[in-house]
Amino acid sequence: MNGQGLIKGLGITLKHFFQKEITEQYPDVMPELATRFRGCLQFEFEKCIACGICVNSCPNNVLSFETEKSENSKKKKLLSYTIDFQYCMFCNLCVEGCPKDCLHFDHDFELSTFSRDDIKRVYLRPAEMDEEKEADAAPVQDEQESKEQKQIDAMLKALQKNPQKILAKMLEQEEDIGILSELMQSNEKTAGKIAELLVKDKEKAAKVAAGFVTKEKKNRLQAEKGGEE
Amino acid sequence: MEHLFTNLATALTGWMITLGLSPVWADVILLLVKWIIIITIITLNIIILIWLERKVSAFFQERLGPNRLGPFGIFQTIADAIKLLTKEDIVPSAADKLIFKTAPMFFIVVAVMLYTVIPMGQGMEVINLNIGLLFFISMGSLSTIALLMAGWGSDNKWSLMGAVRSVAQMISYEIPLAFSLLGVVMISGSLNLQDIVAAQDNIWFVILQPIAFLTYFIAATAELNRGPFDMPEAEQELTGGAYTEYTGMRWALFFLAEYTNLVAVSALMATVFLGGWQGPWLPSWLWIIIKTYGVILVFFWVKWTFPRIRMDHLMSFSWKVLVPVSLGNILLTGAGIYFCQWMGWC
Ligand code: SF4
Ligand code: SF4
Repeated sequence: MNGQGLIKGLGITLKHFFQKEITEQYPDVMPELATRFRGCLQFEFEKCIACGICVNSCPNNVLSFETEKSENSKKKKLLSYTIDFQYCMFCNLCVEGCPKDCLHFDHDFELSTFSRDDIKRVYLRPAEMDEEKEADAAPVQDEQESKEQKQIDAMLKALQKNPQKILAKMLEQEEDIGILSELMQSNEKTAGKIAELLVKDKEKAAKVAAGFVTKEKKNRLQAEKGGEE
Repeated sequence: MEHLFTNLATALTGWMITLGLSPVWADVILLLVKWIIIITIITLNIIILIWLERKVSAFFQERLGPNRLGPFGIFQTIADAIKLLTKEDIVPSAADKLIFKTAPMFFIVVAVMLYTVIPMGQGMEVINLNIGLLFFISMGSLSTIALLMAGWGSDNKWSLMGAVRSVAQMISYEIPLAFSLLGVVMISGSLNLQDIVAAQDNIWFVILQPIAFLTYFIAATAELNRGPFDMPEAEQELTGGAYTEYTGMRWALFFLAEYTNLVAVSALMATVFLGGWQGPWLPSWLWIIIKTYGVILVFFWVKWTFPRIRMDHLMSFSWKVLVPVSLGNILLTGAGIYFCQWMGWC
Protein backbone atom coordinates (compact mmCIF):
# COMPACT_ATOMS: atom_id res chain seq x y z
CA MET A 1 0.00 0.00 0.00
CA ASN A 2 1.15 3.52 -0.73
CA GLY A 3 2.30 5.45 2.29
CA GLN A 4 3.36 2.43 4.27
CA GLY A 5 6.93 3.63 4.12
CA LEU A 6 5.95 6.95 5.65
CA ILE A 7 4.48 5.26 8.69
CA LYS A 8 7.51 3.00 8.94
CA GLY A 9 9.75 6.08 8.85
CA LEU A 10 7.78 7.74 11.59
CA GLY A 11 8.11 4.58 13.62
CA ILE A 12 11.86 4.55 13.20
CA THR A 13 12.30 8.13 14.34
CA LEU A 14 9.99 7.52 17.27
CA LYS A 15 12.08 4.55 18.30
CA HIS A 16 15.22 6.66 18.17
CA PHE A 17 13.49 9.38 20.17
CA PHE A 18 13.41 7.13 23.21
CA GLN A 19 16.85 5.63 22.75
CA LYS A 20 19.83 6.79 24.75
CA GLU A 21 21.77 9.70 23.31
CA ILE A 22 25.11 8.83 21.81
CA THR A 23 26.61 12.29 22.20
CA GLU A 24 29.99 12.25 23.92
CA GLN A 25 30.29 14.91 26.54
CA TYR A 26 33.94 15.67 25.85
CA PRO A 27 35.74 17.46 27.58
CA ASP A 28 33.50 16.94 30.61
CA VAL A 29 33.69 13.22 30.09
CA MET A 30 36.62 11.69 28.29
CA PRO A 31 35.64 9.46 25.40
CA GLU A 32 36.32 5.77 25.55
CA LEU A 33 38.97 4.98 22.98
CA ALA A 34 39.60 1.74 21.16
CA THR A 35 42.71 -0.12 22.24
CA ARG A 36 44.36 0.47 18.88
CA PHE A 37 43.54 4.18 18.83
CA ARG A 38 46.44 6.21 17.44
CA GLY A 39 46.98 9.25 19.57
CA CYS A 40 50.39 10.71 20.20
CA LEU A 41 53.54 8.95 18.98
CA GLN A 42 55.82 8.01 21.83
CA PHE A 43 59.49 7.03 21.66
CA GLU A 44 61.55 5.00 24.11
CA PHE A 45 65.14 6.12 23.97
CA GLU A 46 66.69 3.23 25.92
CA LYS A 47 65.47 0.56 23.54
CA CYS A 48 66.44 2.23 20.26
CA ILE A 49 69.37 0.79 18.36
CA ALA A 50 69.54 3.61 15.82
CA CYS A 51 68.91 1.28 12.91
CA GLY A 52 67.02 3.91 10.90
CA ILE A 53 64.18 1.67 9.77
CA CYS A 54 61.60 4.06 11.16
CA VAL A 55 63.16 7.01 9.36
CA ASN A 56 63.15 5.13 6.09
CA SER A 57 59.62 3.86 6.45
CA CYS A 58 58.03 7.20 7.26
CA PRO A 59 56.40 8.63 4.13
CA ASN A 60 56.27 12.15 5.51
CA ASN A 61 59.78 12.56 6.88
CA VAL A 62 58.50 13.02 10.36
CA LEU A 63 61.31 11.17 12.06
CA SER A 64 65.02 11.90 12.22
CA PHE A 65 67.88 11.17 14.60
CA GLU A 66 71.49 12.02 15.26
CA THR A 67 74.17 9.46 16.03
CA GLU A 68 77.82 9.45 16.96
CA LYS A 69 80.27 6.69 16.24
CA SER A 70 82.58 6.06 19.14
CA GLU A 71 86.20 5.12 18.30
CA ASN A 72 86.53 1.89 20.17
CA SER A 73 83.20 0.29 19.31
CA LYS A 74 81.30 -0.36 16.09
CA LYS A 75 77.96 0.54 17.68
CA LYS A 76 76.39 3.83 16.76
CA LYS A 77 75.54 5.95 19.72
CA LEU A 78 72.11 7.66 19.51
CA LEU A 79 72.42 11.26 20.56
CA SER A 80 68.94 12.65 19.88
CA TYR A 81 65.70 11.55 18.29
CA THR A 82 63.31 14.06 16.75
CA ILE A 83 59.62 13.62 15.97
CA ASP A 84 58.32 16.52 13.89
CA PHE A 85 54.77 15.58 14.68
CA GLN A 86 53.00 18.19 12.56
CA TYR A 87 53.56 16.12 9.42
CA CYS A 88 52.55 12.78 10.89
CA MET A 89 49.52 11.16 9.30
CA PHE A 90 49.24 8.36 11.85
CA CYS A 91 49.87 5.66 9.27
CA ASN A 92 51.60 3.43 11.82
CA LEU A 93 54.35 2.41 9.38
CA CYS A 94 57.13 3.45 11.71
CA VAL A 95 55.62 1.51 14.59
CA GLU A 96 55.30 -1.60 12.44
CA GLY A 97 58.83 -1.28 11.14
CA CYS A 98 60.71 -0.80 14.36
CA PRO A 99 62.45 -4.05 15.34
CA LYS A 100 62.84 -3.03 18.97
CA ASP A 101 59.30 -1.72 19.64
CA CYS A 102 60.56 1.66 20.68
CA LEU A 103 57.75 3.50 18.94
CA HIS A 104 54.10 3.29 19.88
CA PHE A 105 50.97 5.40 19.81
CA ASP A 106 49.36 6.29 23.11
CA HIS A 107 45.77 7.47 23.71
CA ASP A 108 46.48 11.16 24.08
CA PHE A 109 44.60 12.92 21.27
CA GLU A 110 44.73 16.48 22.59
CA LEU A 111 47.64 17.39 20.37
CA SER A 112 47.12 21.08 19.71
CA THR A 113 49.82 23.42 20.95
CA PHE A 114 50.15 27.14 21.22
CA SER A 115 53.12 27.49 18.92
CA ARG A 116 54.34 25.60 15.92
CA ASP A 117 57.63 24.80 17.62
CA ASP A 118 55.96 23.00 20.50
CA ILE A 119 54.69 20.27 18.24
CA LYS A 120 58.18 19.18 17.30
CA ARG A 121 59.47 16.88 20.00
CA VAL A 122 63.16 16.22 20.53
CA TYR A 123 64.29 13.36 22.75
CA LEU A 124 67.80 13.90 24.06
CA ARG A 125 70.08 11.14 25.26
CA PRO A 126 69.26 10.58 28.91
CA ALA A 127 72.26 11.12 31.23
CA GLU A 128 71.83 7.78 33.01
CA MET A 129 72.62 5.93 29.79
CA ASP A 130 76.08 7.50 29.49
CA GLU A 131 76.85 7.01 33.17
CA GLU A 132 76.31 3.29 32.82
CA LYS A 133 78.64 3.09 29.82
CA GLU A 134 81.39 5.04 31.54
CA ALA A 135 81.21 2.73 34.50
CA ASP A 136 82.43 -0.26 32.48
CA ALA A 137 84.31 1.09 29.44
CA ALA A 138 85.97 4.39 30.20
CA PRO A 139 88.27 3.68 33.22
CA VAL A 140 90.40 1.09 31.37
CA GLN A 141 91.16 3.57 28.66
CA ASP A 142 92.12 6.17 31.22
CA GLU A 143 94.64 3.93 32.94
CA GLN A 144 96.42 3.17 29.67
CA GLU A 145 96.53 6.81 28.73
CA SER A 146 97.92 7.91 32.08
CA LYS A 147 100.68 5.27 31.90
CA GLU A 148 101.77 6.52 28.52
CA GLN A 149 101.61 10.09 29.69
CA LYS A 150 104.01 9.27 32.53
CA GLN A 151 106.48 7.66 30.13
CA ILE A 152 106.30 10.65 27.83
CA ASP A 153 106.91 13.03 30.70
CA ALA A 154 109.94 11.03 31.78
CA MET A 155 111.30 10.98 28.22
CA LEU A 156 110.85 14.72 27.89
CA LYS A 157 112.85 15.32 31.04
CA ALA A 158 115.64 13.03 29.81
CA LEU A 159 115.66 14.83 26.46
CA GLN A 160 115.98 18.22 28.09
CA LYS A 161 118.77 17.02 30.41
CA ASN A 162 120.88 15.16 27.94
CA PRO A 163 119.70 15.52 24.35
CA GLN A 164 122.92 14.42 22.60
CA LYS A 165 122.89 10.92 24.06
CA ILE A 166 119.33 10.11 23.07
CA LEU A 167 119.41 11.83 19.75
CA ALA A 168 122.55 9.98 18.77
CA LYS A 169 120.42 6.86 18.54
CA MET A 170 118.33 8.42 15.78
CA LEU A 171 120.58 10.82 13.91
CA GLU A 172 124.01 10.00 12.43
CA GLN A 173 125.79 13.33 11.85
CA GLU A 174 127.12 15.37 14.77
CA GLU A 175 126.00 18.57 13.16
CA ASP A 176 122.39 17.40 12.92
CA ILE A 177 122.35 16.39 16.58
CA GLY A 178 123.59 19.81 17.52
CA ILE A 179 120.92 21.57 15.47
CA LEU A 180 118.08 19.50 16.87
CA SER A 181 119.13 19.86 20.48
CA GLU A 182 119.33 23.63 20.02
CA LEU A 183 115.87 23.53 18.44
CA MET A 184 114.44 21.52 21.29
CA GLN A 185 115.80 23.87 23.88
CA SER A 186 114.32 26.90 22.17
CA ASN A 187 110.96 25.23 21.37
CA GLU A 188 109.24 23.01 23.92
CA LYS A 189 106.62 21.85 21.48
CA THR A 190 109.17 20.13 19.28
CA ALA A 191 110.64 18.47 22.31
CA GLY A 192 107.21 17.26 23.46
CA LYS A 193 106.44 15.87 20.05
CA ILE A 194 109.67 13.94 19.78
CA ALA A 195 109.35 12.62 23.32
CA GLU A 196 105.84 11.36 22.62
CA LEU A 197 106.92 9.69 19.41
CA LEU A 198 109.93 8.10 21.07
CA VAL A 199 107.64 6.41 23.57
CA LYS A 200 105.08 5.26 21.06
CA ASP A 201 106.92 4.55 17.84
CA LYS A 202 110.72 4.81 17.59
CA GLU A 203 111.06 4.52 13.79
CA LYS A 204 108.58 7.29 13.23
CA ALA A 205 110.42 9.39 15.78
CA ALA A 206 113.63 9.04 13.77
CA LYS A 207 111.89 10.15 10.57
CA VAL A 208 110.23 13.11 12.19
CA ALA A 209 113.51 14.12 13.84
CA ALA A 210 115.25 14.01 10.43
CA GLY A 211 112.41 16.10 9.00
CA PHE A 212 112.82 18.71 11.73
CA VAL A 213 116.54 18.91 11.04
CA THR A 214 116.21 19.46 7.26
CA LYS A 215 113.53 22.05 7.86
CA GLU A 216 115.71 23.90 10.36
CA LYS A 217 118.66 23.78 7.97
CA LYS A 218 116.58 25.34 5.22
CA ASN A 219 115.38 28.04 7.57
CA ARG A 220 118.91 28.89 8.57
CA LEU A 221 120.08 29.04 4.92
CA GLN A 222 117.26 31.37 4.05
CA ALA A 223 118.00 33.54 7.07
CA GLU A 224 121.65 33.83 5.95
CA LYS A 225 120.59 34.78 2.42
CA GLY A 226 118.18 37.35 3.78
CA GLY A 227 121.02 38.81 5.89
CA GLU A 228 123.31 39.13 2.82
CA GLU A 229 120.76 40.93 0.79
CA MET B 1 -9.66 28.25 37.63
CA GLU B 2 -11.94 27.77 34.67
CA HIS B 3 -13.08 31.37 34.51
CA LEU B 4 -9.82 32.92 35.68
CA PHE B 5 -9.15 34.99 32.59
CA THR B 6 -12.75 35.82 31.70
CA ASN B 7 -13.35 37.00 35.26
CA LEU B 8 -10.21 39.10 35.11
CA ALA B 9 -11.43 40.72 31.89
CA THR B 10 -14.88 41.51 33.34
CA ALA B 11 -13.28 42.90 36.47
CA LEU B 12 -11.02 45.11 34.38
CA THR B 13 -13.94 46.48 32.31
CA GLY B 14 -15.99 47.03 35.46
CA TRP B 15 -13.12 48.90 37.09
CA MET B 16 -12.68 51.12 34.04
CA ILE B 17 -16.40 51.94 33.96
CA THR B 18 -16.32 52.91 37.63
CA LEU B 19 -13.47 55.24 36.76
CA GLY B 20 -15.95 57.07 34.53
CA LEU B 21 -14.99 55.64 31.13
CA SER B 22 -17.78 55.00 28.66
CA PRO B 23 -18.35 51.26 28.03
CA VAL B 24 -17.17 51.65 24.40
CA TRP B 25 -13.80 53.00 25.46
CA ALA B 26 -13.51 50.34 28.14
CA ASP B 27 -14.00 47.72 25.44
CA VAL B 28 -11.37 49.30 23.22
CA ILE B 29 -8.87 49.34 26.07
CA LEU B 30 -9.71 45.73 26.90
CA LEU B 31 -9.08 44.82 23.28
CA LEU B 32 -5.69 46.53 23.47
CA VAL B 33 -4.84 44.65 26.64
CA LYS B 34 -5.80 41.40 24.95
CA TRP B 35 -3.51 42.19 22.03
CA ILE B 36 -0.61 43.01 24.28
CA ILE B 37 -1.15 39.76 26.16
CA ILE B 38 -1.29 37.82 22.89
CA ILE B 39 1.91 39.37 21.58
CA THR B 40 3.68 38.67 24.88
CA ILE B 41 2.47 35.09 24.87
CA ILE B 42 3.57 34.65 21.27
CA THR B 43 7.05 35.96 21.94
CA LEU B 44 7.55 33.90 25.07
CA ASN B 45 6.03 30.91 23.36
CA ILE B 46 8.46 31.21 20.46
CA ILE B 47 11.40 31.10 22.85
CA ILE B 48 10.10 27.86 24.33
CA LEU B 49 9.15 26.47 20.93
CA ILE B 50 12.54 27.01 19.33
CA TRP B 51 14.18 25.40 22.34
CA LEU B 52 11.66 22.56 22.13
CA GLU B 53 12.22 22.01 18.43
CA ARG B 54 15.97 21.88 18.88
CA LYS B 55 15.62 19.51 21.80
CA VAL B 56 13.10 17.28 20.03
CA SER B 57 15.06 17.16 16.79
CA ALA B 58 18.14 16.26 18.83
CA PHE B 59 16.32 13.42 20.51
CA PHE B 60 15.14 12.11 17.16
CA GLN B 61 18.77 11.96 16.10
CA GLU B 62 20.02 10.58 19.42
CA ARG B 63 21.75 13.82 20.27
CA LEU B 64 21.43 15.95 23.36
CA GLY B 65 20.48 19.28 21.84
CA PRO B 66 21.19 22.53 23.67
CA ASN B 67 22.36 21.63 27.17
CA ARG B 68 24.86 24.27 28.24
CA LEU B 69 22.89 27.39 29.12
CA GLY B 70 20.72 26.86 32.17
CA PRO B 71 18.95 23.65 33.09
CA PHE B 72 18.48 21.55 29.93
CA GLY B 73 19.79 24.49 27.91
CA ILE B 74 16.53 26.37 28.35
CA PHE B 75 18.23 29.77 28.07
CA GLN B 76 19.83 28.95 24.75
CA THR B 77 17.08 30.67 22.76
CA ILE B 78 17.38 33.79 24.89
CA ALA B 79 21.07 33.91 24.12
CA ASP B 80 20.25 33.45 20.44
CA ALA B 81 17.70 36.25 20.61
CA ILE B 82 20.28 38.59 22.16
CA LYS B 83 22.75 37.62 19.47
CA LEU B 84 20.24 38.34 16.72
CA LEU B 85 19.26 41.66 18.27
CA THR B 86 22.85 42.85 18.38
CA LYS B 87 23.72 41.75 14.86
CA GLU B 88 24.38 44.23 12.11
CA ASP B 89 21.36 45.05 10.01
CA ILE B 90 22.41 44.72 6.39
CA VAL B 91 20.25 46.00 3.57
CA PRO B 92 21.64 45.07 0.15
CA SER B 93 22.39 48.16 -1.92
CA ALA B 94 20.50 46.80 -4.92
CA ALA B 95 17.45 45.84 -2.87
CA ASP B 96 14.11 47.55 -3.21
CA LYS B 97 14.46 49.15 0.22
CA LEU B 98 10.80 49.79 1.00
CA ILE B 99 9.61 46.32 0.06
CA PHE B 100 12.65 44.70 1.62
CA LYS B 101 12.06 46.38 4.95
CA THR B 102 8.28 46.01 5.12
CA ALA B 103 8.20 42.32 4.19
CA PRO B 104 9.18 40.94 7.63
CA MET B 105 6.83 43.33 9.41
CA PHE B 106 3.99 42.36 7.12
CA PHE B 107 4.71 38.69 7.71
CA ILE B 108 4.64 38.96 11.48
CA VAL B 109 1.55 41.17 11.51
CA VAL B 110 -0.33 38.69 9.36
CA ALA B 111 0.80 35.87 11.62
CA VAL B 112 -0.36 37.65 14.76
CA MET B 113 -3.72 38.44 13.15
CA LEU B 114 -4.45 34.72 13.02
CA TYR B 115 -4.87 34.68 16.80
CA THR B 116 -7.83 37.03 16.64
CA VAL B 117 -10.38 34.28 16.11
CA ILE B 118 -8.91 31.25 17.85
CA PRO B 119 -10.90 30.39 20.96
CA MET B 120 -8.35 29.98 23.69
CA GLY B 121 -10.83 28.73 26.23
CA GLN B 122 -14.47 28.96 27.05
CA GLY B 123 -15.49 32.46 25.96
CA MET B 124 -11.86 33.42 25.47
CA GLU B 125 -11.22 34.92 22.09
CA VAL B 126 -10.26 38.38 20.99
CA ILE B 127 -13.22 38.74 18.65
CA ASN B 128 -16.07 36.29 18.36
CA LEU B 129 -16.32 36.48 14.58
CA ASN B 130 -19.14 34.62 12.85
CA ILE B 131 -16.89 33.92 9.86
CA GLY B 132 -13.89 33.06 12.01
CA LEU B 133 -12.74 30.10 9.97
CA LEU B 134 -12.91 32.02 6.71
CA PHE B 135 -10.99 34.88 8.32
CA PHE B 136 -8.32 32.48 9.47
CA ILE B 137 -7.88 30.88 6.05
CA SER B 138 -7.73 34.19 4.20
CA MET B 139 -5.31 35.72 6.71
CA GLY B 140 -3.16 32.61 6.50
CA SER B 141 -2.84 32.88 2.75
CA LEU B 142 -1.71 36.51 3.03
CA SER B 143 1.68 35.38 4.27
CA THR B 144 2.44 34.40 0.66
CA ILE B 145 2.53 38.06 -0.19
CA ALA B 146 5.08 38.72 2.54
CA LEU B 147 7.32 36.00 1.19
CA LEU B 148 6.93 37.30 -2.35
CA MET B 149 7.81 40.80 -1.13
CA ALA B 150 10.91 39.48 0.61
CA GLY B 151 11.99 37.51 -2.44
CA TRP B 152 11.37 40.30 -4.90
CA GLY B 153 12.75 43.06 -2.73
CA SER B 154 16.03 41.28 -2.05
CA ASP B 155 17.07 41.40 -5.71
CA ASN B 156 18.72 38.02 -5.38
CA LYS B 157 18.06 35.01 -7.55
CA TRP B 158 17.87 32.62 -4.62
CA SER B 159 15.40 34.84 -2.85
CA LEU B 160 13.26 35.20 -5.93
CA MET B 161 13.36 31.48 -6.57
CA GLY B 162 12.27 30.83 -2.99
CA ALA B 163 9.50 33.38 -3.31
CA VAL B 164 8.25 31.90 -6.57
CA ARG B 165 8.26 28.47 -5.05
CA SER B 166 6.40 29.63 -1.99
CA VAL B 167 3.73 31.33 -4.09
CA ALA B 168 3.23 28.27 -6.25
CA GLN B 169 3.17 26.01 -3.22
CA MET B 170 0.84 28.09 -1.12
CA ILE B 171 -1.67 28.72 -3.88
CA SER B 172 -1.79 25.01 -4.65
CA TYR B 173 -2.19 23.95 -1.04
CA GLU B 174 -4.66 26.68 -0.16
CA ILE B 175 -7.31 24.76 -2.08
CA PRO B 176 -7.14 21.39 -0.30
CA LEU B 177 -6.68 23.28 2.96
CA ALA B 178 -9.98 25.13 2.53
CA PHE B 179 -11.77 22.11 1.07
CA SER B 180 -10.78 19.88 3.95
CA LEU B 181 -12.22 22.36 6.43
CA LEU B 182 -15.45 22.50 4.41
CA GLY B 183 -16.51 19.07 5.64
CA VAL B 184 -16.32 20.28 9.23
CA VAL B 185 -18.26 23.41 8.36
CA MET B 186 -20.98 21.29 6.72
CA ILE B 187 -21.42 19.17 9.81
CA SER B 188 -21.31 21.96 12.36
CA GLY B 189 -23.26 24.32 10.10
CA SER B 190 -21.20 27.33 11.15
CA LEU B 191 -18.02 29.23 10.37
CA ASN B 192 -17.80 30.50 13.91
CA LEU B 193 -15.03 28.67 15.70
CA GLN B 194 -16.80 28.71 19.07
CA ASP B 195 -19.79 27.02 17.40
CA ILE B 196 -17.48 24.43 15.84
CA VAL B 197 -16.02 23.67 19.25
CA ALA B 198 -19.48 23.41 20.72
CA ALA B 199 -20.49 21.00 17.95
CA GLN B 200 -17.73 18.63 19.12
CA ASP B 201 -19.38 18.23 22.47
CA ASN B 202 -20.05 14.52 21.96
CA ILE B 203 -17.55 13.45 19.36
CA TRP B 204 -14.41 15.06 17.95
CA PHE B 205 -14.39 15.86 14.25
CA VAL B 206 -11.18 13.90 13.80
CA ILE B 207 -13.33 10.77 14.10
CA LEU B 208 -16.11 12.04 11.84
CA GLN B 209 -13.70 13.55 9.31
CA PRO B 210 -10.49 11.48 9.31
CA ILE B 211 -9.77 12.15 5.63
CA ALA B 212 -10.26 15.87 6.12
CA PHE B 213 -7.97 15.75 9.13
CA LEU B 214 -5.23 14.10 7.12
CA THR B 215 -5.54 16.40 4.11
CA TYR B 216 -5.63 19.42 6.39
CA PHE B 217 -2.51 18.24 8.18
CA ILE B 218 -0.62 17.76 4.93
CA ALA B 219 -1.80 21.01 3.42
CA ALA B 220 -1.00 22.87 6.64
CA THR B 221 2.53 21.50 6.63
CA ALA B 222 2.95 22.90 3.14
CA GLU B 223 1.33 26.20 4.14
CA LEU B 224 3.73 26.53 7.04
CA ASN B 225 6.75 25.88 4.83
CA ARG B 226 7.78 23.15 7.17
CA GLY B 227 9.66 20.00 6.30
CA PRO B 228 9.18 17.91 4.22
CA PHE B 229 7.57 20.76 2.27
CA ASP B 230 10.10 23.49 3.10
CA MET B 231 10.91 24.17 -0.53
CA PRO B 232 10.74 27.98 -0.24
CA GLU B 233 13.58 27.97 2.27
CA ALA B 234 15.46 24.85 1.26
CA GLU B 235 18.76 25.79 2.90
CA GLN B 236 20.64 23.19 0.91
CA GLU B 237 19.48 24.31 -2.53
CA LEU B 238 18.39 27.91 -2.12
CA THR B 239 20.64 29.05 0.75
CA GLY B 240 17.58 30.12 2.70
CA GLY B 241 15.20 31.07 -0.12
CA ALA B 242 13.39 34.35 0.44
CA TYR B 243 15.33 34.94 3.66
CA THR B 244 18.76 34.76 2.03
CA GLU B 245 19.52 38.48 2.21
CA TYR B 246 18.06 39.10 5.64
CA THR B 247 20.20 39.52 8.72
CA GLY B 248 19.81 40.12 12.40
CA MET B 249 16.42 41.09 13.70
CA ARG B 250 14.76 41.25 10.29
CA TRP B 251 15.61 37.64 9.73
CA ALA B 252 14.53 36.84 13.27
CA LEU B 253 11.14 38.39 12.53
CA PHE B 254 10.61 35.89 9.73
CA PHE B 255 11.61 33.14 12.05
CA LEU B 256 9.27 34.46 14.71
CA ALA B 257 6.44 34.68 12.21
CA GLU B 258 6.98 31.13 11.05
CA TYR B 259 6.70 29.79 14.56
CA THR B 260 3.75 32.07 15.23
CA ASN B 261 2.06 30.58 12.17
CA LEU B 262 2.91 27.12 13.41
CA VAL B 263 1.23 27.72 16.75
CA ALA B 264 -1.78 29.32 15.11
CA VAL B 265 -2.29 26.50 12.64
CA SER B 266 -1.81 23.90 15.36
CA ALA B 267 -4.30 25.71 17.57
CA LEU B 268 -6.79 25.80 14.70
CA MET B 269 -6.27 22.12 14.13
CA ALA B 270 -6.89 21.42 17.79
CA THR B 271 -9.97 23.62 17.67
CA VAL B 272 -11.50 22.24 14.51
CA PHE B 273 -10.62 18.57 14.76
CA LEU B 274 -9.63 17.79 18.35
CA GLY B 275 -12.48 19.28 20.31
CA GLY B 276 -10.89 22.65 20.98
CA TRP B 277 -10.90 23.70 24.60
CA GLN B 278 -13.27 20.91 25.59
CA GLY B 279 -11.96 18.33 27.98
CA PRO B 280 -12.54 16.94 31.42
CA TRP B 281 -11.08 18.04 34.78
CA LEU B 282 -8.63 20.67 33.58
CA PRO B 283 -9.62 24.27 32.79
CA SER B 284 -10.46 24.93 29.14
CA TRP B 285 -7.50 27.21 28.44
CA LEU B 286 -5.13 24.50 29.64
CA TRP B 287 -6.77 21.96 27.38
CA ILE B 288 -6.26 24.03 24.25
CA ILE B 289 -2.61 24.56 25.20
CA ILE B 290 -2.08 20.82 25.71
CA LYS B 291 -3.77 19.94 22.42
CA THR B 292 -1.91 22.64 20.51
CA TYR B 293 1.41 21.46 21.82
CA GLY B 294 0.48 17.89 20.96
CA VAL B 295 -0.15 18.90 17.35
CA ILE B 296 3.08 20.92 17.29
CA LEU B 297 5.01 17.88 18.46
CA VAL B 298 3.52 15.87 15.61
CA PHE B 299 4.63 18.61 13.21
CA PHE B 300 8.14 18.33 14.64
CA TRP B 301 8.04 14.58 14.36
CA VAL B 302 7.07 14.75 10.68
CA LYS B 303 9.65 17.41 9.90
CA TRP B 304 12.50 15.46 11.44
CA THR B 305 11.50 12.20 9.80
CA PHE B 306 10.91 12.91 6.14
CA PRO B 307 13.34 14.30 3.60
CA ARG B 308 12.33 17.29 1.51
CA ILE B 309 10.37 16.26 -1.58
CA ARG B 310 10.90 17.57 -5.08
CA MET B 311 9.09 20.68 -6.27
CA ASP B 312 7.23 18.98 -9.14
CA HIS B 313 6.24 16.09 -6.90
CA LEU B 314 4.95 18.59 -4.42
CA MET B 315 2.77 20.31 -7.01
CA SER B 316 1.45 17.15 -8.57
CA PHE B 317 0.69 15.74 -5.12
CA SER B 318 -1.44 18.75 -4.37
CA TRP B 319 -3.37 18.87 -7.65
CA LYS B 320 -3.59 15.16 -8.41
CA VAL B 321 -4.08 13.72 -4.93
CA LEU B 322 -5.07 16.22 -2.28
CA VAL B 323 -7.59 18.26 -4.30
CA PRO B 324 -9.54 15.23 -5.58
CA VAL B 325 -9.42 13.56 -2.18
CA SER B 326 -10.71 16.63 -0.36
CA LEU B 327 -13.41 17.11 -3.01
CA GLY B 328 -14.38 13.48 -2.55
CA ASN B 329 -14.51 14.05 1.18
CA ILE B 330 -16.98 16.90 0.70
CA LEU B 331 -19.13 14.68 -1.47
CA LEU B 332 -18.98 11.90 1.11
CA THR B 333 -19.83 14.27 3.94
CA GLY B 334 -22.76 15.70 2.00
CA ALA B 335 -24.05 12.22 1.24
CA GLY B 336 -23.61 11.25 4.88
CA ILE B 337 -25.53 14.24 6.13
CA TYR B 338 -28.31 13.62 3.62
CA PHE B 339 -28.44 9.97 4.66
CA CYS B 340 -28.51 10.97 8.29
CA GLN B 341 -31.42 13.36 7.74
CA TRP B 342 -33.24 10.78 5.66
CA MET B 343 -32.94 8.29 8.47
CA GLY B 344 -34.07 10.93 10.94
CA TRP B 345 -30.96 10.73 13.13
CA CYS B 346 -30.25 14.39 12.98
S1 SF4 C 1 52.88 7.16 11.74
FE1 SF4 C 1 53.50 7.27 9.60
S2 SF4 C 1 53.73 9.47 9.21
FE2 SF4 C 1 53.66 9.22 11.43
S3 SF4 C 1 55.83 9.10 12.02
FE3 SF4 C 1 55.10 6.99 11.73
S4 SF4 C 1 55.62 6.50 9.61
FE4 SF4 C 1 55.74 8.72 9.81
S1 SF4 D 1 63.31 1.56 13.88
FE1 SF4 D 1 63.18 1.52 16.13
S2 SF4 D 1 65.23 0.86 16.77
FE2 SF4 D 1 65.39 1.49 14.63
S3 SF4 D 1 66.02 3.65 14.73
FE3 SF4 D 1 63.79 3.62 14.59
S4 SF4 D 1 63.14 3.68 16.70
FE4 SF4 D 1 65.25 3.09 16.76
